[in-house]
Amino acid sequence: MNITVTDDDLMLSDALQRFCQEVIAPAAAEVDERSLSATCHRPALSEIGIMGMNLPEAYGGTGVSAVALYLAVEHLAAACGSTASMVTAHFLATDSILLGGTEAQKQAWLPDAAAGRKLGGFALTEPSAGSNPAAMRTVAEKTANGYRIRGVKHFISNAAEADFLVVYAKTDKSAGHRGISAFIVDRHSAGIEVSPPERTMGLKGGHVFEVALDCEVPAGNLLGGEEGRGFRTAMHVLDNGRVEIAASCTGIARAAYQAALFWAKTREVNDHPIAEFQGLQWMIADMATELEAARMFGLKAATRREQGERFSQESAMAKLYASEAAGRITDKALQIHGGYGYTREMPLERYVRDVRIMRIYEGSSEVQRNIIARTVLQD
Amino acid sequence: MKVLVTVKRVIDYNVKVRVKADHSGVDLSNVKMALNPFCEIAVEEAVRLKEAGTATEVVVVSIGPAAVQEQIRAVLALGADRGIHIETEADPEPLSVAKLLAKVVAAERPGLVILGKQAIDADNNQTGQMLAALTGMGQGTFASAVKVEGDELLVTREVDGGLQTLGLRLPAIVTTDLRLNEPRYATLPNIMKAKKKPLEVRAPAALGVELRAYSQVLKVEPPADRRGGIKVASVEELVDKLKNEAKVI
Repeated sequence: MNITVTDDDLMLSDALQRFCQEVIAPAAAEVDERSLSATCHRPALSEIGIMGMNLPEAYGGTGVSAVALYLAVEHLAAACGSTASMVTAHFLATDSILLGGTEAQKQAWLPDAAAGRKLGGFALTEPSAGSNPAAMRTVAEKTANGYRIRGVKHFISNAAEADFLVVYAKTDKSAGHRGISAFIVDRHSAGIEVSPPERTMGLKGGHVFEVALDCEVPAGNLLGGEEGRGFRTAMHVLDNGRVEIAASCTGIARAAYQAALFWAKTREVNDHPIAEFQGLQWMIADMATELEAARMFGLKAATRREQGERFSQESAMAKLYASEAAGRITDKALQIHGGYGYTREMPLERYVRDVRIMRIYEGSSEVQRNIIARTVLQD
Repeated sequence: MKVLVTVKRVIDYNVKVRVKADHSGVDLSNVKMALNPFCEIAVEEAVRLKEAGTATEVVVVSIGPAAVQEQIRAVLALGADRGIHIETEADPEPLSVAKLLAKVVAAERPGLVILGKQAIDADNNQTGQMLAALTGMGQGTFASAVKVEGDELLVTREVDGGLQTLGLRLPAIVTTDLRLNEPRYATLPNIMKAKKKPLEVRAPAALGVELRAYSQVLKVEPPADRRGGIKVASVEELVDKLKNEAKVI
């Protein structure tokens, strides 16, 4: 099994790294400090083509490889975790339509979303249905012209500013996960209420909301035109999403690692840079090794995705490893900075806070282990 | 009007350069390379002229090993229409570069040639001027504004006393200064499209130019390490040291 990174991938990666460092990174501290919505970067991200990076050219996307997409998200997260979160949530919505929609639905919704003219949100999680979507209570009942969707969704990224949400709801309450269908819901329809943003530990610019729904959607907005296909779509979308979370983890960890490396070489104790001390060298060696391993996992999953193979196991491993490694790497990076790392004058405490959610959302570490165990035992 | 823009691949300006152990030059192994920033400004100006309808075609040319095609592709992604790569492993001096470019100018007959005023690696600041001499075209160097009016080119230059505006007959040569414009970022769709744009590879010999060495690098040394300062007790001591030790006043 090879990892394939082409020259084109590297060229896209280089161009995006520069854009992210020069345009997105300078605002990251302020986005965090003032909890500004990362959608402030939407015009710049749209112009450069990032909002449609996950989509093929036929639907207005940029048609880059899954590997280039991985590298792009890594650069975005290294610059600003909140922005990466906002963008990857948009990808979950558009991936839902790409993987689960009819041709007409793709043509109708994706080009505007790819160009960043319309922002998407992915509404699967509920207050009492996180790791177990089959327990969702949101229902969609057939009406004369379509469906009436009723229920509450929680931790929905982008919901306040989104133009559309892909809402997962039960069309058959008795059928477990096979009773779940997905709908494209115009965010501005009557009967949708969005809470103020949750006050979170990190990713303070990647706003998440509670969304209360009691709204009508036309029959044509049933994703794929068939009931009962929502769960399958969501699982495929989350296979993609986990690679992007792995990329985000690697990006934030890389930013922390590079800061720590610089600090270790320049900070002196008794006239010696602290990088000369073996205790710190071992920390740096562990960080470098884990960072590399996290990236290799992510690139492997991305390579398989690019080749059109199943990659549930690879994406779960990538997300599990990268999110846990990023927790260790950001923590060590803060430790190397000593007291300065704990202050808000430096970005280390932000990295620690931002990366913490990665072990929880889009399937907690425990859920990833379930997926890995299931795929391993199946073989 | 066709615009020819020239670019050079140099060490990325963010990289802290290291001198080779034998002092023969700067160590280029495993170092991130990029477009010379002044060349980026030249590209941006050419693309803006095309967007304004003044230029009809933007052709980019670069000289160097196979790897310079990365920079040519990057320029195609920024909006140039086609690329010319003059492939050589040698590191030609400004006069050789100007001779090669003169051949390209003779073949392409551009209405305007835009170059960076200098490359940040060797800081020669010679190629544009030499190309003007070789082709007999007028030159506007260190441009901070460029405007085409009919068949005249107005070039504003930052000179010691203020701003000087030159009127040049086209075809002409412009070298760019830092404040001419602010280069854009390549968009992803344009990076993808750049792959399909034509890129022609030529050898210096095929252009009838023999690359010669006109000078020889004797040694390259890094700047001396900065030494720590000292504290003085009084203004009198400071003045004394400035006058008698540093001898600057």
